[in-house]
Amino acid sequence: MTDLIDELPGEPMMWVLIVSELLVFGAGLAALSAMRLTDPAGFAEAQAHLDRAGAALNTVVLVTSGFLAVLAVRAAEAEREARKRACLAAAMALGVVFLVIKGQEYAAKSAQGIDWETHAFFTFYYLLTGFHAAHVVAGIVLLGLVAVLRDPRATETGAAFWHMVDLVWVLLFPVVYLIR
Amino acid sequence: MTRDPLLMAWAALVTLSLAGAGLSLVPAGSVVSLLALSLALLKGRIILHRYLGLAHAPRWRRGFDMVLAGFCAGLAGLALLI
Repeated sequence: MTDLIDELPGEPMMWVLIVSELLVFGAGLAALSAMRLTDPAGFAEAQAHLDRAGAALNTVVLVTSGFLAVLAVRAAEAEREARKRACLAAAMALGVVFLVIKGQEYAAKSAQGIDWETHAFFTFYYLLTGFHAAHVVAGIVLLGLVAVLRDPRATETGAAFWHMVDLVWVLLFPVVYLIR
Repeated sequence: MTRDPLLMAWAALVTLSLAGAGLSLVPAGSVVSLLALSLALLKGRIILHRYLGLAHAPRWRRGFDMVLAGFCAGLAGLALLI
């Protein structure tokens, strides 16, 4: 058992958090998929109001940010502090770009008079994407914290959280934006 | 010349993401739903293997791969019922 846990890269408690978060988002995505069956036309009509291009762009933004986070871990392990901080700063900046694009999407919905009570689809949409956006904010803060610590293990843990945020978005994107 | 697996992973993720963006431009249907979930599965595996480092933890990698594939299969089943 210890051998199995030792095989896991990084901090085991971060993996507990990652699995917990994946289960929560997975349940939400499964619930949305099941609810869609009760009103396929209504869900498709509601989904047509979403900005698919913006969401697709955000996928590229997040996977690139994740790439920079891995580079930061490598730099931390090589004791290249300046490079580590630069990579983390760039990863955080892309996190902010993600939030700006997401904010524009929310603003567009609001301008159309759409809120979370407009249709069941939008209840799921705001819950899932809003909860995910909150994780992006938390991830940016976490990356900022590990940027000032001279501890490769801390950098790896912060990056692992960021990759979880990335992974959730990759699964959320098709269910919320594409399947109809 | 050896290519950095991390760089290859990022390039693959961007390519798959652009393919996903392309799916948003075509009419909806079962094929689009299955393709979208397949792309998500591939991207998820790359993030787990290369970004989160499970490529070096074969037992965990197999477990996560199985659960992720099962989850995507479940979503695909629901999508096919639409």
